[in-house]
Amino acid sequence: MELIIQVLVSGLLIGGVYALISVGLNLIFGVVRIINFAHGEVLMLAMYAAFWLNKLFGMDPYVSALLVLPALFLFGVLLQRVIVQPIQEASANMQIFATVALSLILQNLALIFWKGDFRTVQTSYAMSTLEVMNIIISVPRLIAFLVALASILLLYGFLKHTFLGKALRAIVEDNTVARLMGIKVDRLYLLAFGLGAAFTALGGILLIPFSSVYPMVGGPFTLIAFIVVVLGGLGSMSGTFLGGLFIGVVESFGGTYVSPALKEAIYFGIFILVLLVRPQGLFGKGKGTEEIGLK
Amino acid sequence: MKKPSWTLWLVTTLLMLTIAGPAAAKDLQIGALYPRSGSLALLGEESWRGAEIARLEANKKGGVGGDQVVFVNADGHDVAAARAEAERLIEQSKVGLILGSYASSRSMAATEVAARKNAVYFELGAIANSITERGYQTVYRTCATAFNFSKSQSKFIAEWLAPQLNKKPSEVKVSIAHEDSDYGTSVADSFKNAAKEFGIQVVSVEPYAANTSDLSPVIFRLKKAAPDIVIAVSYAQDAILLSRQAAELKLGIPLFGTGGGHSLKSFQEALGDKVEGVLNVDFTQYEVSSAFTPGLKEFVALYRETFKEDPKSGHSLANYMGTKALFDILAKTKGSVEADAFRKAALAMDVPEGATSTGWGVKFGENGQNQRANPFIMQWRNGKLMTVWPKAAALMDPVLPK
Repeated sequence: MELIIQVLVSGLLIGGVYALISVGLNLIFGVVRIINFAHGEVLMLAMYAAFWLNKLFGMDPYVSALLVLPALFLFGVLLQRVIVQPIQEASANMQIFATVALSLILQNLALIFWKGDFRTVQTSYAMSTLEVMNIIISVPRLIAFLVALASILLLYGFLKHTFLGKALRAIVEDNTVARLMGIKVDRLYLLAFGLGAAFTALGGILLIPFSSVYPMVGGPFTLIAFIVVVLGGLGSMSGTFLGGLFIGVVESFGGTYVSPALKEAIYFGIFILVLLVRPQGLFGKGKGTEEIGLK
Repeated sequence: MKKPSWTLWLVTTLLMLTIAGPAAAKDLQIGALYPRSGSLALLGEESWRGAEIARLEANKKGGVGGDQVVFVNADGHDVAAARAEAERLIEQSKVGLILGSYASSRSMAATEVAARKNAVYFELGAIANSITERGYQTVYRTCATAFNFSKSQSKFIAEWLAPQLNKKPSEVKVSIAHEDSDYGTSVADSFKNAAKEFGIQVVSVEPYAANTSDLSPVIFRLKKAAPDIVIAVSYAQDAILLSRQAAELKLGIPLFGTGGGHSLKSFQEALGDKVEGVLNVDFTQYEVSSAFTPGLKEFVALYRETFKEDPKSGHSLANYMGTKALFDILAKTKGSVEADAFRKAALAMDVPEGATSTGWGVKFGENGQNQRANPFIMQWRNGKLMTVWPKAAALMDPVLPK
């Protein structure tokens, strides 16, 4: 019994980070409707930024968020303006080529500038733990979970209650009608991409105290984020949050009770099932949001 | 031959820099194939440096069999490049002998080319068992194989750990946690075979993906299996993650690394004092008995003089030792790399353990594999990777890790 709870806690904690990174992707994928394969590379850049700020200036990784998040917000805006906007109306294949190329370029630039080494930030709290009724909780993982939860709630509030948020949601539902209603869609695309990048960057900041960074670190996270977004439904932040936790827990239980080597296979299996049975996602907004499924 | 003037040195250096420049008639040309760009560049370069130091040292002493040695350098940054470069070295640069190559996948491809063209391939650093198991008559390897790593680990467990635990070797329970790519899987298989030889029981095997950010499932499974020791086969980041989560989740079972990530400085830096007591098996490192490794100190001095920094890992040393063995063979064949003459001289070589800079002996088997390359057991002690076993090579006794 104790083991089951311990496994559940571990899964939920890492699931929070998956959720945060997926929320970033959902903003981009849901609003801008671009399949961004370079998503993980934004995460990688944020992790490297936090690493170097720590290495060169001794800045605590959590504090470095104050610099890293705005920087990657701008980076996201720039990507949208320079790379995505010109191919906005092109076929999905073209967009995939462009973002896969971007991902390869960023990975290899990282390889050139920072080498293939695995970089780890040294902090005093990296291995500190809490023990609650014999359940062990890693402090940096707990912080990651709580901050992810808080920031997703904040985003939820922003989308629900502000004018800009409502405009973004309108675009998710129908971007042609949104445009007809006078929403400056192209400008909001910039905002959505920037916000998406910033949320992903926050995920990177929260990972760096307990994870290493290297040029290829983003790849697995890109895949997980796509699964979570499809599972949760395009444009649904609460769905993404639950989807992230779900994948974390599946991974943890699958890893412990089936085999650690098979945990990816298990959630990819779920991914395929969802695509077949409910392409708009478990919490999707219904018709028209099954962009990734077989149309 | 005239005493070499500074212009001659300049010319040889320039030749070294050009990839396939024409060489003077009396030079002995050897292809040097390493991954020197791309993701394996760091240790590929480090490996090349070891061979390069051996070359500079030999040339300073008058060359090999009177000839100056020149390397024709080639970059095997991926498997296809390794194959193409081996082809180019033999066909266009007309070298009859290639040395290299650090990475097993590159070596597998390049040795195949060399064997087909009847050129000699001298492997100094790649450990995949299969490199010398394909019956090629012109492929030799001076360094230890993956199986040698596993054998050293098993022997250590049977001869040292078992008595410490007041158990017979057959009562010691071992789990293997390994990353699930080719590297981890083959090393894990190799350990299973070696453990069988020593009667050690493997109670569980836990493969995992190295790029994960959560290894707690592996830790939970190890807790359930409750072995006496865990053999870990890991790259860099997963070695750190596994040890960190083992400490966080209070695993309480000692970890025994298998080269790779467990030897790296970054492993020690990331874990801080939690690194204390972690065991590892690897190529000879620098904290080792100097009586058992004659020439190691001189190598480090030469390395510092040539490259103005300390060696990054034991890879350079292993390549240095292997290149020197190669030069000894070439001295006997008077520089000839003709396959039969070379094979005769190579198989006749007989150097006991404890007589080279790595402490390994040299005695090639029929398959071209050096039978006397037994890796040592090391342990992280006070932030340093100290050699602790076998006794002849050790600087201190091992302690039971917590």
